Amino acid sequence: MSKTTTASRDIGRKTTPAGKAAGTASRKRPSRRSGRDGGLLLLLAAPGIVWFLVFCYAPMAGLVVAFKSFDVSKGIFESPWNGLDNFKYFIASGDAPHIVMNTLVLNVLFLAATLGAGLALAIMLNELRARVFKKFMQSAIFFPYFVSPIVVSIILQVLLAGAGGHGGAANDVLGIFNLPEVSWYTEPGPWPWILTIVKVWQMGGYMSVIFLAAITAIPEEVYEAGMLDGASRARMAMSITLPLLKPTAAILLVLGVGRIFYGDFGTIFAIIGDNGTLFSTTDVIDTYVFRSLRTIGDFGTTAAIGLFQSVVGFILVTAAVLVQRRYSKESSIL
Amino acid sequence: MSTSASGMSASATAKSSLDTVVADQTTAGAATAFPTSAGSPTSALTAGKLRRSPKQGSPGRGKRNIEPFTVVSYIGVGTFGLFALIPLWMIIAGSFTAESTLAKSGYSLFPEPFSLDAYASIFTGAAVFEGYAATLFITVIGTVLSLSATASLSWVIARRMPRISKPLAIFAYIPMLFTGGLVPLYLLVTQVLHLKNSWFSVILPHMMAPFLIFVAVSFFRQLPEEILDSAKVDGAGELRIFFQIVLPLSKPILAVIALFYAVSYWNEWFTAMLFISDPDKYPLQLMLQNLIANVTNAAELPGSSANVAPVYQLRLALTVVTIGPILLAYPFAQRYFVKGLTLGATKG
Repeated sequence: MSKTTTASRDIGRKTTPAGKAAGTASRKRPSRRSGRDGGLLLLLAAPGIVWFLVFCYAPMAGLVVAFKSFDVSKGIFESPWNGLDNFKYFIASGDAPHIVMNTLVLNVLFLAATLGAGLALAIMLNELRARVFKKFMQSAIFFPYFVSPIVVSIILQVLLAGAGGHGGAANDVLGIFNLPEVSWYTEPGPWPWILTIVKVWQMGGYMSVIFLAAITAIPEEVYEAGMLDGASRARMAMSITLPLLKPTAAILLVLGVGRIFYGDFGTIFAIIGDNGTLFSTTDVIDTYVFRSLRTIGDFGTTAAIGLFQSVVGFILVTAAVLVQRRYSKESSIL
Repeated sequence: MSTSASGMSASATAKSSLDTVVADQTTAGAATAFPTSAGSPTSALTAGKLRRSPKQGSPGRGKRNIEPFTVVSYIGVGTFGLFALIPLWMIIAGSFTAESTLAKSGYSLFPEPFSLDAYASIFTGAAVFEGYAATLFITVIGTVLSLSATASLSWVIARRMPRISKPLAIFAYIPMLFTGGLVPLYLLVTQVLHLKNSWFSVILPHMMAPFLIFVAVSFFRQLPEEILDSAKVDGAGELRIFFQIVLPLSKPILAVIALFYAVSYWNEWFTAMLFISDPDKYPLQLMLQNLIANVTNAAELPGSSANVAPVYQLRLALTVVTIGPILLAYPFAQRYFVKGLTLGATKG
């Protein structure tokens, strides 16, 4: 696809100077012209290029800190090398297995739950015919996406911890069913599920927007055929809509798997913060890195963990992108 | 239910023929060029032919008015809608409830007795205005910088200029695959750029979002080439084409991108927490986060619930103040978000 377009564009470009020459007296050689255009385009791209160099590529070089015994007064490049000591220290600390596990478990839960919720919501939204209701509900379920992590953590405190020593809404509900109150913020067990519910709250609407866009692309005739065959709405949803959403779901899944090594730092840290009793189930690589940076101030070790995360993350993302490109050629900018 | 055995088998055939449609569509998607934006792979379905299943549905089966699945859908969506809104409503209701009630009987869905104490005390102090000023600065300046840099870089990528566009696309793409992580960024901002306690330390690290570059590139590529070519024939330079033709034609997508950036700057707190330690310069989100910590400390003191400052009502009120602008702008901006998401979702 891209090849044909480039070709047609090239033709357009070649004819341009000719047309110009025919129309006016001024003559410019094509090569000089496109050279100047290239310069101007680079000028246009310059702010972006500079930003990427400073804020993306320079930090990559800065990862050498992972192999150094970092000393603030000496700076990144003057600090002495210490080989793999930082990595050994991280492994010796014994934290590696559980934070890696937590990262994987939480992300798998998040991915499965948000994809499932988005898919179900989109299919159900597609059934609604009352326009005002549908529009209102769509707005309502998409809104949580725009709520900041800090506000999410306050909402959770309202629901789980309550005020003035009273148990909060979740415990009130438990009370209705005569269940004992739970002291949520000291109980690590339920937190993977609580965080998953939070994630569904945040992302369910977002995912449903994507799936709904894919549903609107399904031609009406498919459904007409289904109606002629006497299929019920439920059967059409199961046998037409769902299978046709598979490619979209596959892409989202693959992309999600690619990012599985990066926890959702903002939300988790805003909610859990420094509450050590919950670390056993909620501490992910990102929160661990941030905490050790802040409390220990050991740049070398934290950079080593960061490098480990980046490398594994890179392998996963690259694999995901390769898989995804096999499914949809046009969905990449390259 | 009314589904008879023959009906079942008819649907089963319908399903299998649909499977082939899906298969066709995948191959068609690889072979043919996509006519439009949609970006969703299913749009290729228009190219695939639909095979009608050989068995027709039994005649005389009319449209049923209300199907169970439709009812289920209304209930399901309604439930999720409540699930989405009730927490927000509890925050708003709580912010108008008197502190004594909150401390005595906890949060409820209705503010009783109604009280504006928290808002009164928030707006008498200067802190919230300083917070607003900080957040506004970060949001406005950040959005302007982000939008300009994103639009111009994306245009150069979308222009398909030989030897420039493609390397640039790869250049912008690599950081999505591999990042330096937190530590080098921290050292960069604090040791090299010396931006600690500057609002630019909140703006710059997130100035460009790859996802929005994708959105912009895919929109720019749909612009009709004839217009660009004719401008070229008329002697317009690349800069003129960009500023006088491309940008005016792209207003809708620029609005989308600006809104996405604005919301993310408004909600940004993590970079602020990393780099801003001077309380006078705290943006709203960081003020709020600080208040949570204080409330938690206050709540842990034994017997403090009786005569404590209005912390519970206060933090809810500050939460409302913080999400207020988003809440107000959302009804008008929502369609732009949906549009941007539709255009870029499967490309990120």
